[in-house]
Amino acid sequence: MATFLLIRLLRWSVGLLLILFITYAMMYYGAGDPIRMMFIQGEDFDTEDEVVMLALRKKYGLDEPFLAQFGNYLNNLFQGDWGRSIRLQVDRPVLEIVQFRLPISMQLGFAATIIGAVVGIGLGILSALHHNRLLDRLIVSIVLFVNGIPVFVTVPILLLLLVLQLKLIDVPYGWNGLFHIDAALPVAVISIGVLPIIVRQTRSAMLEVKSQQYVTTARAKGVPESRIILRHMLRPVLTPVVTTLGLIMIGLINGSLFVEYILNIPGFGLLTIEGIKKVDYPIIMAVAVVGTLIIFVSNFLVDIIYPILDPRVRA
Amino acid sequence: MSESAPGGNISRVVADGVYSGEQRSLWQDASRRFRRNWLAVGGLVVVFCFLIAALVGPHVSPYDFLEQNIVRAFQRPSEEHFLGTDDLGRDVFSRMLHGARTAALVAFFTTAISLLIGVLVGTWSGISGGRTDEFLMWISDLIQAMPGLLLVILINTTLRRPIINAFDTLYMQTRNPFYLNTLWLDYVLVFSALALIGWPGLARLIRGQVLSINEEDYVLAARAIGASEAHIMLRHVIPNALGPLVVAVTASMGGAVTLEAGLSFLGIGIQPPNASWGSMLEEGRRYWQIFPHLILIPAVTIGIVQVAFVFLGDGLNDALDPRRTT
Repeated sequence: MATFLLIRLLRWSVGLLLILFITYAMMYYGAGDPIRMMFIQGEDFDTEDEVVMLALRKKYGLDEPFLAQFGNYLNNLFQGDWGRSIRLQVDRPVLEIVQFRLPISMQLGFAATIIGAVVGIGLGILSALHHNRLLDRLIVSIVLFVNGIPVFVTVPILLLLLVLQLKLIDVPYGWNGLFHIDAALPVAVISIGVLPIIVRQTRSAMLEVKSQQYVTTARAKGVPESRIILRHMLRPVLTPVVTTLGLIMIGLINGSLFVEYILNIPGFGLLTIEGIKKVDYPIIMAVAVVGTLIIFVSNFLVDIIYPILDPRVRA
Repeated sequence: MSESAPGGNISRVVADGVYSGEQRSLWQDASRRFRRNWLAVGGLVVVFCFLIAALVGPHVSPYDFLEQNIVRAFQRPSEEHFLGTDDLGRDVFSRMLHGARTAALVAFFTTAISLLIGVLVGTWSGISGGRTDEFLMWISDLIQAMPGLLLVILINTTLRRPIINAFDTLYMQTRNPFYLNTLWLDYVLVFSALALIGWPGLARLIRGQVLSINEEDYVLAARAIGASEAHIMLRHVIPNALGPLVVAVTASMGGAVTLEAGLSFLGIGIQPPNASWGSMLEEGRRYWQIFPHLILIPAVTIGIVQVAFVFLGDGLNDALDPRRTT
């Protein structure tokens, strides 16, 4: 078991390093010189002064060859120095920006996951209990339908419906804390994004468990149906749902990118888009680091939790 | 009832619904099952309309999709402009038709490229096994574990500049005007970025098929009488994998349409003046409170096409699964 986890950890670490390397290489060779762009776009300076540009490049360590830059970056990263933003919020430490932005997205994502899990597991169980009957077909079709519509379509349509037609809410804009009414729409939309994964997984697990012999035995003993579901079926059903944590995280990241962009919520998703549009190296790298880490850590967690939940895979 | 069906007489004897004597191939069976699923049939119809719109739409569109007319900006749907006009007075219907072409092109090329890479890597991985297999699957795992959207955005932004620079240099050297036209560059960038994250799923599918079919007795038998690997691949593995492949290809096309719209929505994919549903949605967003039709039209279209792809894929999945009968 320990060796298995160690190998997994090693694999994911090598993967993380590889992804950082590729991202940095893409930035270095592809994205273009952020300093020159400051001048060309005329946002920060008026003239293309080579001396100033050289000085700026030196300041951010952008004058060194690729491998030296990457080495420096990694070295600093492990010491907790994520660099300073070049163009987005000039000179502010990236770690500080991330520390401000990430919790907003995490709160949204956490709330959305809880709602998605509760509703999704409920719908999945309901669907499996009514297997092949009307309710099951209805739930499966609705989930498929919802799954098909991308977030950047859902949000504008919901805005038109709720704000313009029904006049239920004002235009949600920005971030006023998780318990402000403005957070309701983003949380709802993001949770819709993760719902289909959970419903599908729960339903198929439930269908498999339903025909197990110990369930029949329990029923034969006269155990009440609700107790069978809670005591005998829920755990084997929840186990495979946990394994989709990685997928859920991807759904959260994708969802928050669009939702935050549309509703101007200063979370991690918006930071990603702003950083990429401004070619702000340290920000883009930070986004890659955090994004990859989230996925890898959740996959690793699944590797750890799964044997605890399902004793059969303990080797 | 098939005329050449062996045992036709017997079938008439046990004819009360036990054994019909009818012989149906896998594909006939699949099409029967598919036609019974009206959601999937609806999806097929919508996807078909979408492809037709993409194919002939730009040729029959009432206006040029680039034609601006500031005087006629922000018109609501009327007889003259079926779906109204946008902030620059461009005909929305013509732009939607052109956007359909954009979406279909992206869907087709992305799927073709990822299919090519996926089949090559998948077969290679499945046949060679061992270390090669492990390495290839590790790479595809890594790509699949990454949030795809993030990866696509990164690839798309970083590849643009080097390619533009390369073309500038080529133009300077050759003076060939071909290298000056960068309108289609967005398309190439979107294809390649999407294909780069699309192939691992297909590769995994093919690999799985190769591995499982290799275990079958008839493949063992074929090998025993001296069939070559290539023969086994073409005669047994690929025909068996066709069902899952059709499903995967449908999913991949639908996914490419969403991702293209999403990228263009974020201002990273297809750039103006090219028309894309995603960028139309983004442009309409600025005026959504006053002119909701500008946002509603692309949003509803993207939604309908997406849902159609999903229902079609699901229907195909059910229909082509040989373990399902009736």
